[in-house]
Amino acid sequence: MALRDQNRAPLLSRLSQPVLLGLGFAVLIAISAASIWLVNQARSDAAAVAHTLEVENSLAQIQVLVRRAESGQRGFLLTRNPSYLQLFDNSSRDLVPELGEIATLTADNPNQTGTIQTLLPKIREKMDELGQTVQLGRQGRWDEALAIVNTNRGELVMRDIASAIEMMKAEEERLLGSRTASARESAQWLLLVNIVGVIAIISVAAVSVHLSQRTNRALRQAHAALAVINVDLERRVEERTADLQEANQEIQSFAYIVSHDLRSPLVNIMGFTSELEELRTDLFHRISGLRERAGDTNAAQDEELAQDFTEAFGFIKASIIKMDRLIKAILDLSRQGRAEFQPVPVDANALVENIASTVAHQLMARDAKIEIAKLPPLVTDRIALEQIFTNLIDNAVKYLRTDVPGRIEVNAIESSAYITFLVSDNGRGIDSKDRARVFELFRRSGPQDTPGEGIGLAHVRTLVRRMGGSVMLDSELGRGTTFKVTLPRTLTMQRQGE
Amino acid sequence: MVNHVTIIMIEDDEGHARLIEKNIRRAGVLNEIVPFKDGTSALTHLFGPDGSGAVSAGRALLVLLDLNLPDMTGVDILKRIKENEHLKRSPVVVLTTTDDKVEIQRCYDLGANVYVTKPVNYENFANAIRQLGLFFSVIQVPEAK
Repeated sequence: MALRDQNRAPLLSRLSQPVLLGLGFAVLIAISAASIWLVNQARSDAAAVAHTLEVENSLAQIQVLVRRAESGQRGFLLTRNPSYLQLFDNSSRDLVPELGEIATLTADNPNQTGTIQTLLPKIREKMDELGQTVQLGRQGRWDEALAIVNTNRGELVMRDIASAIEMMKAEEERLLGSRTASARESAQWLLLVNIVGVIAIISVAAVSVHLSQRTNRALRQAHAALAVINVDLERRVEERTADLQEANQEIQSFAYIVSHDLRSPLVNIMGFTSELEELRTDLFHRISGLRERAGDTNAAQDEELAQDFTEAFGFIKASIIKMDRLIKAILDLSRQGRAEFQPVPVDANALVENIASTVAHQLMARDAKIEIAKLPPLVTDRIALEQIFTNLIDNAVKYLRTDVPGRIEVNAIESSAYITFLVSDNGRGIDSKDRARVFELFRRSGPQDTPGEGIGLAHVRTLVRRMGGSVMLDSELGRGTTFKVTLPRTLTMQRQGE
Repeated sequence: MVNHVTIIMIEDDEGHARLIEKNIRRAGVLNEIVPFKDGTSALTHLFGPDGSGAVSAGRALLVLLDLNLPDMTGVDILKRIKENEHLKRSPVVVLTTTDDKVEIQRCYDLGANVYVTKPVNYENFANAIRQLGLFFSVIQVPEAK
């Protein structure tokens, strides 16, 4: 079915949209977290690299200072010029904090700390040797000083220092290499994560856009389909309404024509029956005259014949009168069906109270009461509403029980557009098999002990239907009846026949 | 009503026509009654073959008209009579079963002189026709020109 398919697509999209949104957010959060972590990583990598360079720099400085101290010592011993002592003293002085710094810088690395443990005594030994020779030179004991230098011990120590520093440098180079590699790896990961994230987000967005478009398309199609259905529905409702109105009008005009045309022959039947009655009088007059002239004095047979005549005429006339009433009822009903309604604001309370006052003497005679609740006002045809209530209240009064005090109630239940009027009685009730029949023309229920034609409720139903309402009844035989008349709060003029 | 006035009775139901005639006679009206059972023959009589109505010139006519006719409605006949130069002053009595207010108004609007509804109850019917007969005996009817 086309309709079911149209339903499925928006359902899928409705489910997918939040999922996609969640997915998009998750990807963004992952990228951000990864980026922050990787940037931090890169920063610590860079710090490590800087640290390595600092260590290398410090080592180079130490080497240079030792060499310069040695150069100062050599220059002093060679030239005996005390200005070289300046160089030696400065270098010796600067070397002390530099040694402290390298120890601090490499404190975190056990390899380097180990090497420093061998390096520091060597430097101290070298500096002691240099200090000793310089001291001897100052005291003028040049030969002794040169003798120490000539032992070549200083040179050996110097070589040890150089090799220890080279070892440390190599270690730092190794560290630098691994740290640079790690930094490069971090940068690559950062790039990769970002690229993957961007691709993921673009995909999510693309799927989302696609789904939105599909939803929109489905919505548009559904809208179009709905519009078509609506138009079709309206057209059909209009057609049906027109058909119904036409049928209704046909029935009305049929009822009118039939009842009208039935009256004409009835006039003849009635007229000539009366003429016959006149003739009968003349006839019997002549018969009695003739009988007298013939000398027959027995009038009993004539009397019998006359009675038969009277009986026959009685039946004919009663039937004609009844037929006339029925035809008149149909005529009235069809006329009601054609009358134009004039909606005006109606005070239902005043209207019902007015009707109640017209049956007041009947109520009194039957020891009955009528109670009218607060009824809402409505806009309707006053005459039609009056006829509805008159018929219902008359009916209620007519069929009250004689063994209990009668009680009639008029109530109303309101809804937004409709008002349901309830006319309840504690009368004799209507047998369940008769509940539909009582609304039909000329149909009555229960013992036929009260005068009536069976027109009232048919009349009520015709009016209520024409006003766009409905009438129903609840009843319990021997307990009472409630008629429920539902009418629009505001009567709108129906289109009448052209 | 002087004797030379002719009563034109346009009534499709022969029974009604007979009952009307009987009761008019009972009121002592002795004028000639010319019955027509349909609209066409009545119109031919009133307006002549040429339809001008000149044929009725000089006649004193009173029309008793039923509205429900087999070939046309009495309203059409009423309209033709009241629009005709020769016949417009002839009294028209609409005697019909219809008691519809709209129909009654329409007939008077078109110039009907009297509108009487036939009662179904024969006593009332006979009474009404007899009173109509009495009415006929006192009114003046002009000759058609």
